Amino acid sequence: MQNFEFYSAVTVEDGLAFLSERTEGCRIIAGGTDLIPLLRTQEVRPSHVLNILNVADLKGVRETADGIRIGPATTFSEIVVSEPLQKEALLLVQAAASVGGPQIRNRGTVGGNIATASPAADVLPALMALDAALEIRSLSAGVRVVPLTQAIEGPYNPGLRPGELITGIILPKPVPGTRGGFEKVGRRHALARARMNMSVVLRMDSNNALAEIRIVPGAVMPVARRMGEAESVLLGQRPEPDVVDAAADALAEGILSTTGRRWSSEYKIPVVKNVFKRVLQGLI
Amino acid sequence: MSKPDEKKQLHMTVNGRSVDLSVKPSWTLLYVLREELGLTGTKKGCEQGDCGACTVLLDGLPVNACLVLALQAEGCAVETIEGLGTAENLHPLQESFLENGAVQCGYCTPGTLMSASALLRDNPSPSLDEIRRGISGNLCRCTGYTKIVKAIQHAASRKS
Amino acid sequence: MKKRGIGVGCMFYGIGYGFSRQDISAATVEICEDGSVIVRSGEVDYGQGSDTIFCQIVAEELGVDYDQIQLITADTFVTPNAGPTSASRVTYVTGNAMLKAARKVKETLRPVAEDILGETDLVFRDGTVSSAGSPDKKVSFRSLAKAAHLRGLQIVETAWHDVTTKDVDPETGQGKAYSTYAWASQLAEVEVDTDTGKVEVLRIVAAHDVGKAINPSNVEAQIEGGAIMGMGYALEEEIQQQDGHVQNGSLGEYMIPTALDVPLVEAHIVEVPVEDGPYGAKGVGEPALIPTAPAILNAICDALDIHITELPANLENIHRLIREKGE
Repeated sequence: MQNFEFYSAVTVEDGLAFLSERTEGCRIIAGGTDLIPLLRTQEVRPSHVLNILNVADLKGVRETADGIRIGPATTFSEIVVSEPLQKEALLLVQAAASVGGPQIRNRGTVGGNIATASPAADVLPALMALDAALEIRSLSAGVRVVPLTQAIEGPYNPGLRPGELITGIILPKPVPGTRGGFEKVGRRHALARARMNMSVVLRMDSNNALAEIRIVPGAVMPVARRMGEAESVLLGQRPEPDVVDAAADALAEGILSTTGRRWSSEYKIPVVKNVFKRVLQGLI
Repeated sequence: MSKPDEKKQLHMTVNGRSVDLSVKPSWTLLYVLREELGLTGTKKGCEQGDCGACTVLLDGLPVNACLVLALQAEGCAVETIEGLGTAENLHPLQESFLENGAVQCGYCTPGTLMSASALLRDNPSPSLDEIRRGISGNLCRCTGYTKIVKAIQHAASRKS
Repeated sequence: MKKRGIGVGCMFYGIGYGFSRQDISAATVEICEDGSVIVRSGEVDYGQGSDTIFCQIVAEELGVDYDQIQLITADTFVTPNAGPTSASRVTYVTGNAMLKAARKVKETLRPVAEDILGETDLVFRDGTVSSAGSPDKKVSFRSLAKAAHLRGLQIVETAWHDVTTKDVDPETGQGKAYSTYAWASQLAEVEVDTDTGKVEVLRIVAAHDVGKAINPSNVEAQIEGGAIMGMGYALEEEIQQQDGHVQNGSLGEYMIPTALDVPLVEAHIVEVPVEDGPYGAKGVGEPALIPTAPAILNAICDALDIHITELPANLENIHRLIREKGE
């Protein structure tokens, strides 16, 4: 068993104050589904743990003038039942519904999924495909807003500086006609890490060409990203089979150029192309 | 705030009764339930949220007690298997599990019953798929789930 | 693309240890002065239901209520050696020892009952002992037990049952390897996603010859649980080792099926009684698991027209076979 100091923040300011005074060795806990196993095995040995699960301003899904604001301490279960998200960001609902099992979803949070930044995360790539931005605050630096696609610095490295707390996930209002789809490939249908997942967002114009296309595969690279090389093949084009095939090839090449050929490439490369095509077909 | 290793006060209700304890920050809710409160009906399985043997209800929601720091349960209502029913007064789900042969070694049973009780509370007439999904976080090796699913269906149809 | 297939697996399995390995069990049945029954067995009930059927067997033999029986098990201080709880042998071997012990105890009570009733055609049923020819001549089991105690009789018997076989000829392999065999067929229907290599098992139908199902619900439960274990074995369970160290020894990394992965198993009990089983019963514990993987693999082969030679038939292995076939 470890020894650490535990504090439950009451407000955002209160939490930020605690963080600012303890820049070394402080871990933030929300649902705890990622952190607690690490505490138990002592892979992580913080001197302080800040609990943010009680901070009302960090919870909930709110529609704003520009889109939707999600509190980082919002659980996957809360995301699944959120009506605004079901209407405007079904992709995120599908991704959240695919995580773990009911018990995990009742505790695990969207902020935690981002802050853990696991290469196999399900919700993180979905948020990237939805053009999410992170609102990050600290006492010393104030507020900064970063597109999620630029925030993650590496596997398990969400790019948070000492004293910083994710205080909001902001989804821009989608242009009418925008649709999103998600698929997860796992070894079983619950309690399974993604072997890969696929998030696609698109919008067709009046000529049935793609006016907008965003592709983010997950669990295939150390850090998920938008696959611009595949998106550019499709953008402005009608999604005819040969164009879609070319985009899938570009997707695969893009992944390989990031990771190099690995033992898992034999499976992942052909399958990611199949899954991409399937998710895309489901949207057009 | 406290010094490391210093115990902190925890107040919660467990099965409807008020509980006040001193706990170490690193203690999980599972540890406190079993070791400090002697409620050993909640089982210790994998201790990393992968099996559901430690499922309890926290403010009505099924959670893995191994993945809740005890201090995070401050002010919460915890329901464990001991609160679901007693030998003299079984919960309909417990009766149904017994009648339908859904218990073999029994290790997954408390957690599965807690998940099932939350499912039926929210959704009194669940479909087969909803039942499967409701217990998808509870691993069982003995039964293959067939009789567990039928027991839950049976309990649901009886209530309605 | 989704492709469906159907496959069948069949098996036979030797019950007990076989091959001249010692396969003996003992059980003790005692009747108390108040008519309650104490049964002692060395076997372990870890959920398969051995406790239940021992009580059923003794209750059946003595004609008493199941609830009158108290069971003490797996305590080396007071329970006789039943041999290990394994090899699908407990019903067949220890069940027989139970049966014998109950019958021996009956023989101790018989002269007392004959004396009380003045008849010899005794029937032990529904908590009474009566004359078959003159049914109104009866005595309650409790009164009979008391009367026997008052006569100073010891109403406790331990019985042994031995199914140790001779061996097979080491040269020809001929002989009697096992005392009895269980037989089963299982059928699986699968749907393979050729894009990802994921295999869904849509149906498992399992027919098991258990000789006699002393407790049908428990037999079904064994079949259902074993079949799903067989499904996991076929599809995703794999112990990964490196330099002798298990790499995936946690429930998060060694993947067994969840409730969302399984069909509801359709279990069919076939009863072809064996002469030397208690009430004709054999065993089902291990047999339940055996034909499932072959049935599922055959179903995958049916769906994809391929040949599988490697387990598990997981995402990577199946997709590789699909790609190789396409080339």
